Amino acid sequence: MKPENVIEVNDVRKSFKVYKDKGYMLKEMVLFANRRKYEIHEVLKGISFTVGKGEAIGLIGQNGCGKSTTLKLLTKIIYPDSGSIRMRGRVSSLLELGAGFHPDMSGRENIYINAAIFGLTRDEIAKRIDDIIAFSELEHYIDNPVRTYSSGMYMRLAFSVAINVDADILLIDEILAVGDANFQSKCFNRLKEIKAEGTTIVIVSHSLGQIEQVCERSIWIHDGKIMAEGSPREVHPIYLDYMGTKRLENAQHEAIRQKKKREKEALKTDVSGENALPRDTSVNEDKADCEDDLTTISSEEAIKKNKKRWGNGMARLQEIELLDENGVDSTLFETGKNVTVKLHYHVKQKVEDAVIGIGVFRTDGVQVYGSNTRIDKLDEFSLEKDGVVCLVLKNVNLMPGQYTLDFAIESGMGLPIDYYREAKRVEFFTTKDDVGLSRIEHEWELG
Amino acid sequence: MNLIKELYNYREMLFSLVRKSLRGRYKGSVLGFLWTFLIPLLQLGVYTLVFSVIMKSGYDKYYLFLFTALVPWVFFSGSVASGTGCIWDQRNMVNKIYFPREILPIAHVTYLLVNMLLSLLIVFAVLILSGHGINLVAILYLPLVIFIEYLLALGITMLMSALDVYFRDLQYIMEILTMAWQFLTPVMYGLDVVPEELRTVFRFNPMTSVIECFRDIMYYQRIPDISTLGLATFMGVFFMTVGVLAFGRLKRGFSEGM
Repeated sequence: MKPENVIEVNDVRKSFKVYKDKGYMLKEMVLFANRRKYEIHEVLKGISFTVGKGEAIGLIGQNGCGKSTTLKLLTKIIYPDSGSIRMRGRVSSLLELGAGFHPDMSGRENIYINAAIFGLTRDEIAKRIDDIIAFSELEHYIDNPVRTYSSGMYMRLAFSVAINVDADILLIDEILAVGDANFQSKCFNRLKEIKAEGTTIVIVSHSLGQIEQVCERSIWIHDGKIMAEGSPREVHPIYLDYMGTKRLENAQHEAIRQKKKREKEALKTDVSGENALPRDTSVNEDKADCEDDLTTISSEEAIKKNKKRWGNGMARLQEIELLDENGVDSTLFETGKNVTVKLHYHVKQKVEDAVIGIGVFRTDGVQVYGSNTRIDKLDEFSLEKDGVVCLVLKNVNLMPGQYTLDFAIESGMGLPIDYYREAKRVEFFTTKDDVGLSRIEHEWELG
Repeated sequence: MNLIKELYNYREMLFSLVRKSLRGRYKGSVLGFLWTFLIPLLQLGVYTLVFSVIMKSGYDKYYLFLFTALVPWVFFSGSVASGTGCIWDQRNMVNKIYFPREILPIAHVTYLLVNMLLSLLIVFAVLILSGHGINLVAILYLPLVIFIEYLLALGITMLMSALDVYFRDLQYIMEILTMAWQFLTPVMYGLDVVPEELRTVFRFNPMTSVIECFRDIMYYQRIPDISTLGLATFMGVFFMTVGVLAFGRLKRGFSEGM
């Protein structure tokens, strides 16, 4: 082991047996001994890295890539199949906060128990207990039983113990979401402090921002191998790019699947004959709603009944196309780029003084944006025959996440002709790490 | 050697687990820790009532005859029966943090040992107050016998708790087994009533000689037979060795087994 290194991981491989039906019971073990099938799942396929003293590294990667397994190996909870792991000094792991807490005992007693699990002696704990209590901000409650704590207080106490252990190596798994914003920033400051004191830190997190705050090196693990290693500034954009394209692929797969499903259903409908279908079948609900019982229904009622579509049916939206900047039909868009909407409509009966509108909603129902041709002061127009409306949404600065789009044709009186709620579901992604609801275009000027 | 050093480093965890079990057990009850003494005392009362008033037996002061063996037996059977699940029950901890896994069975058996020591205080009090008396020279052997029983209980508990992770039926099997085991150990009767030809078989039961030693010291007030003591020592060391070796082998796979 080189003197400057605290952790040396050398060509570590690890696989798990995944039993198709694991039997713990005697019957299964004896009777079905030959039938117990399992697959070997290779999680780590040869990983090597070293970490120096006082260095902080972040392990990133998608779910199931092996980063948590790596951390478990470092913690010595599991052991590698081949390869070696060498570490120097006391290891404290924040994989599980509050391990061994006893709900009936006071916070103070639980500090002793929890710290002892990290391998501290009574004297060492006694020396730190004031720091731990002060850090947790639980001075007034420290002698109450832990069961009376809120979950936030519980986590604060647990984190305070773990971070005050004075380990040489600190392993952290996805747990920095502790307490309120103030406490979180306090935790980060403390992490930076102990790092400055020479503690080596290994963090597994999906929050790249957190890693950038603390770590000077990121390791991207993909499918059991190290894909990239370097400063977060170099590695994270590559990783995000990859994740973005991956999501695009997924979205395309999903779109194809949905399309196939729809085609299948359409086929079914044709075969059985539209008239024979009962009104309430989900297959063709939209159509049925719109064409029949609708002149009387108001928007409020419709929403109350959780209908997706209503209106008097004089005209009807047919196909709705969403195109990205390259003119490709998609449901996944990059934040800040243009989105083109093409609304194909069919006219049954001439609509005078028509208004066409769009609404953008977050999946939790909050309206992000809404507008229509009247708000935008377009001249009155009427729909006489089938046609297409094109709408270009420019630089859509919606932050990553899912959104739903409503489209509507209304008459000038505000009477719904065809209101189509959640007509489209779209997703936005970005390669940047900024946060919030909507991106604000900005420029820095450093003096 | 490494293991001993590591266990020493984690001694505070051991103490705190034992303390937690001792204090946590009666937490919330009105009498609290007093129950630790009250339970053996009440048990003794029940046995006295049953065996000196209702079911008279051939032994002089049968309740003492029974109790001097029952207290060490309860320690042993408690260790083995409930201790079999001690790793599995803590799987959340075992799965999430590193500590020498041996701590768990050691803490469990030590907790029951402390319980037994407290019960023994009651036994001594009753021995003196009932006029039965104690032999101070024989008592000197008691710590040794207790230590031997501790090794035996710990060895078997380590073996069983490690196997239990891979084979979950063990916990239930051990519960039944310890019940049957009690009747095959001279707890409610003495080895003297066992037919001559069966006694050798009884000697294979590791608990037989341990119980005999306890009863010799406290009930018969005599120094235990050197052969009985020797056999008990052998059994204790043997099972401890087996337990430690097997545990060391099996512990690497604990997290995956769960």
